[in-house]
Amino acid sequence: MSLDYVKFTPGFGKFMPKEYRDMVEHGPFGKKVSVSQVGTFKEILEEHPMCAGCAMTLFIRLAMVAFPNPEDTITVGTAGCGRLAISQAAIPFVYGNYGDQNGVASGLTRGLRLRFGDRPKDVVVMAGDGGMADIGFAQTLHSWFRKEKFTTIMLDNEVYGNTGGQESGMTNRNQVLKMAPLGKKFEKMDMLGMAKVSGCAYVATVVPNNPRRVESVIKKAVLVAREIGPSYIQAYTSCNIEYAIPTDKVMEDAKTVETDRYKFTEYITDEAKEYLSQLYGYKEYLPKPAAAVEKQ
Amino acid sequence: MYLVANIETEICAATSCKLCTQYCPEANTILYDNEAGQDQGFKYGAAYVAVDRCKGCAQCVWVCDNMAKHNAIKMEMIDQIGDTALTENVTYGEKTSSAVLANPVRGQG
Repeated sequence: MSLDYVKFTPGFGKFMPKEYRDMVEHGPFGKKVSVSQVGTFKEILEEHPMCAGCAMTLFIRLAMVAFPNPEDTITVGTAGCGRLAISQAAIPFVYGNYGDQNGVASGLTRGLRLRFGDRPKDVVVMAGDGGMADIGFAQTLHSWFRKEKFTTIMLDNEVYGNTGGQESGMTNRNQVLKMAPLGKKFEKMDMLGMAKVSGCAYVATVVPNNPRRVESVIKKAVLVAREIGPSYIQAYTSCNIEYAIPTDKVMEDAKTVETDRYKFTEYITDEAKEYLSQLYGYKEYLPKPAAAVEKQ
Repeated sequence: MYLVANIETEICAATSCKLCTQYCPEANTILYDNEAGQDQGFKYGAAYVAVDRCKGCAQCVWVCDNMAKHNAIKMEMIDQIGDTALTENVTYGEKTSSAVLANPVRGQG
């Protein structure tokens, strides 16, 4: 959990694989990198076994580039497609039993605060819609009500993609799937509403169709979770297998869904706005000058 | 044999868009060389594909054709592609990366 933890033991560098050497010498640790620089540095994420053209992988990749301090970040995940990629990265990954991820992250956050005090150590939960809205629903919601300070990211592919296409709470009403032949009988769960009610300081929906927006949202969510309170991001990451989207049309689908029902929304409390503007220079959250307020 | 993405340097180096590097679901697969077009007199660098990591989803092709509208990326058979970049031949520099080209089937040289 520091800049040293990826370094080689002296004398062993030459025996390490090329990917490892690239990560130590040209990785993003201790540097400020952005999405516009990808392709010129070694990314935290490595090769992974997720399907070709998976939008979830793209989101995970962008999220890992966007972490403000990757050397001080731990990811927590659970069963589902996402963990296949999240675990193949050069930052520690903790596997919570199915549904346990927010409980595990709560303990981890508290432990890190006891151990490291004021030094920021970010915990980021990334799990699918099934792990978060169905099986891990109680623990997710309870961690928000307890105001646990970590980021929760839902990789919402609107289906249990890993197990053959069962409906999840986040599947849209009437959606027919391989293992839901009669169509889903109830509406998509309003996790955003629940996040706001339970006291999350930052809530956003995002689609990986816009990499810079993904970067900005992840950065804000992680920074808010350091001091203010829980943050929640719901990302539409289509399953091109279960929804039969041709791999080269995945971004076209993301664009259609974004304009149709997954518009970018951002909710941020006044306390979080003040924190981001004062500590991290977010100009858009600076208090408006008196003249501008009068005009409104 | 299977399809991998191939980026035409001449078209890519004429612009500075870099969109394909941001939309590839695989990490460190579409890389960017800031000096790729310099010896041919192009203003910008160009993206290139480490073909051993490419899963052939063609998302970059859609992004290049429809979002950037450059039509610089085509899917080609791995044994027909000629010399290209491979992860083992990629070196990173200060805010850039470059690759020694090699035949993906036969290897270097």
